[in-house]
Amino acid sequence: MLEARTERLMIAHFDVDAFYASVAVREDPSLRGKPVAVAGRSRRAVVLTASYEARPYGVRSAMPLYRALEACPELIVVPPAYELYRTLSRAIFDVLGDGQRPVEALSLDEAFVDLGSADVREAEAIAQSARTRVRREIGLTISAGVSQAKMVAKIASDLCKPDGFALVEPGTEAAFLAALPAGRLWGIGPKTVRRLNARGIETIGQIAALEDGALHAIFGAWGTEVRELARGIDRRGVEPEREAKSISTEETFEYDIGDEAQLIDVLRAQADELAQKLEREGLFAGTVGVKIKRSDFTTVGRQTHLEQPACDAGAIFEASSFCLKRAQLRGAPVRLLGTRCADFVTRIAEQQRLF
Amino acid sequence: MKFTCNTKDIASAVGAASKVVNAHTTVPILSNVLLQADGGKIAVRATDLELTLEHAFAAEVSETGSVTVPAKLFSGYLSNLPPGLLELTGTPTRASIKYERSNYDFHALPADEYPPLPSAQKGQSFSLNSKRFRDGVTGTIFAASTEEARGAVLMGTLLEVEGNNLTLVATDGYRLAKWQTALDEGIGGAEKYIVPSRALAEAARNLGGAEKIDVTVLGAQNNQLQFSGGDTSIVVRLVDGQYPNYGQVIPPKFDRKIAVNTQQLIGGLKRAELVAGDRASMVRLQIGNSTLILTANSDVAGNAYEELEIEQTGEDLTIAFNARYLVEILNHIDSPQTVMEFLGPLSPAAIRPAEAPEGGEQMYVLMPLRQ
Repeated sequence: MLEARTERLMIAHFDVDAFYASVAVREDPSLRGKPVAVAGRSRRAVVLTASYEARPYGVRSAMPLYRALEACPELIVVPPAYELYRTLSRAIFDVLGDGQRPVEALSLDEAFVDLGSADVREAEAIAQSARTRVRREIGLTISAGVSQAKMVAKIASDLCKPDGFALVEPGTEAAFLAALPAGRLWGIGPKTVRRLNARGIETIGQIAALEDGALHAIFGAWGTEVRELARGIDRRGVEPEREAKSISTEETFEYDIGDEAQLIDVLRAQADELAQKLEREGLFAGTVGVKIKRSDFTTVGRQTHLEQPACDAGAIFEASSFCLKRAQLRGAPVRLLGTRCADFVTRIAEQQRLF
Repeated sequence: MKFTCNTKDIASAVGAASKVVNAHTTVPILSNVLLQADGGKIAVRATDLELTLEHAFAAEVSETGSVTVPAKLFSGYLSNLPPGLLELTGTPTRASIKYERSNYDFHALPADEYPPLPSAQKGQSFSLNSKRFRDGVTGTIFAASTEEARGAVLMGTLLEVEGNNLTLVATDGYRLAKWQTALDEGIGGAEKYIVPSRALAEAARNLGGAEKIDVTVLGAQNNQLQFSGGDTSIVVRLVDGQYPNYGQVIPPKFDRKIAVNTQQLIGGLKRAELVAGDRASMVRLQIGNSTLILTANSDVAGNAYEELEIEQTGEDLTIAFNARYLVEILNHIDSPQTVMEFLGPLSPAAIRPAEAPEGGEQMYVLMPLRQ
């Protein structure tokens, strides 16, 4: 839920630079300055993180490992060390919170910190000193963005990476956002970007300037909120208790789908997406479920327990397609389909299969 | 219908049958048990359409006929009756019971609406000693999958009959149980049946009293199997599908072998597992110098270390297993010594009793954990 704030507080967004790859270098300094990628060992392994030295070759996270190796044959591939990531992540967040500031972890390497009623200069000093401490005490570089608007703080830290700091002064949020591509805005995915581009809308500034009519034609009921975000108005505060209990993805279809084979294809793509997220966090899901909204807006959910907690797309898809069958749609048109993983365990050992 | 019988006999028959009834059925008559009185016997039957159980006991029948009574209610009533004789009178709508100075009327549903047994058209049949059957079933079905999402085939147990041999196989893809035993009467040729594991559990539980168990193929499509022994019979619908080619996943040869005291290993694994935390109950087995070292550790709980004396053949090895899976297997090994065979840290391991069960062969295959 969005938490309305009346008093404007400063928020910092911190993001460790190329976390997994930087940890690999921290553990083995001989890797410094070399193109490094962290990736699993499976046949379908994807790059979890690439070092900045690997990025000029086009190596990106979520890229299949074999393609990364094609793009950069000298790439050094290191297996993930989730136990270590978790230990370091706890240590970093402890520095960021310093025992007094609320920290909202978004993942192992990314967090919002509530800087409270600090003024702009104080906020900058706190964030900079936290960056210095993380570098000195933990041996990793971390970038930070500071703003009164949560989303702006995150975009600012993204833009100043690596080892950067960016402050967006109160009142300048809209100007800061204006020239950025529309896809930077929260909640605007590639599909919406294509729709916006088709109407000649490329930047966040153009969204901020939309009139009510056009706004609602594009975004529907959600329009006002999007325009507020585009103007740098974001009333959400830092929510420290936030911890991922489940991860999910869903898709609302442009046209309702009644064909089961098509729905199965959607589930397959969603399983791939969730498997990547799970692998990135080193999590295994014990429960997989689907959410189905029919064209009459009634919603059904089905979920199933996995005997062997899994993080691979195959197991997630097997479970989600079973849930879909069990929902017995019998060709009823569906307007939204989603997959959800929950009951996480963190494990380092993987049960091998007989077949 | 009308009969007089011993309260203990009818209570145990109805109690066993009511376990088959699906508590969530939406078909009212399937919540009931059927009682048929004929020829000095009462047959009590229950079904969930996949599995049917019938148990008969002796009674003094004064009027033949049948009645259906709500299973849960009726078995609850009977289990609270003291020993003695009761008289039951059945009509299509009512079952009336007289016991000493009490009278109970239960609402009934017409017996002719009860699902009939599958056609008595009989196919192949074989028979075996009931103890061997029970040992084989309990020693395999635990390895079957319990996940509906993985399908009915893996939730089932494979019965392979060839000549005078029966092989039971169950697997969930991580472990596999295989039990071979001799039949009293076999078949000509070879047949394979995938039986819901739940039905085998019911058969093992309810047919234990008989000396010999007859297994017969029923139904026009040969898609049902009947297990009968003494006064009890269980009919189950077979799973339609292709069982995984299990022979392919059992390595024909191993290059390392140990023999270990079964109970000592179980104890060590259970203790070490407590320390393993949520890491898939991972316990490492380090084999070397005729010693087996069990270790486990987690951030939360601490470290475990245990040494066991073993007989070792072949090279040293370190391999990790889900302790829960390994203990479950060892719990079904009756022999004081267990033999484990290996190929490597990521290859399947074989586990068997040092002394095979009488008239048969018992083995398990377990996949390790990748550390």
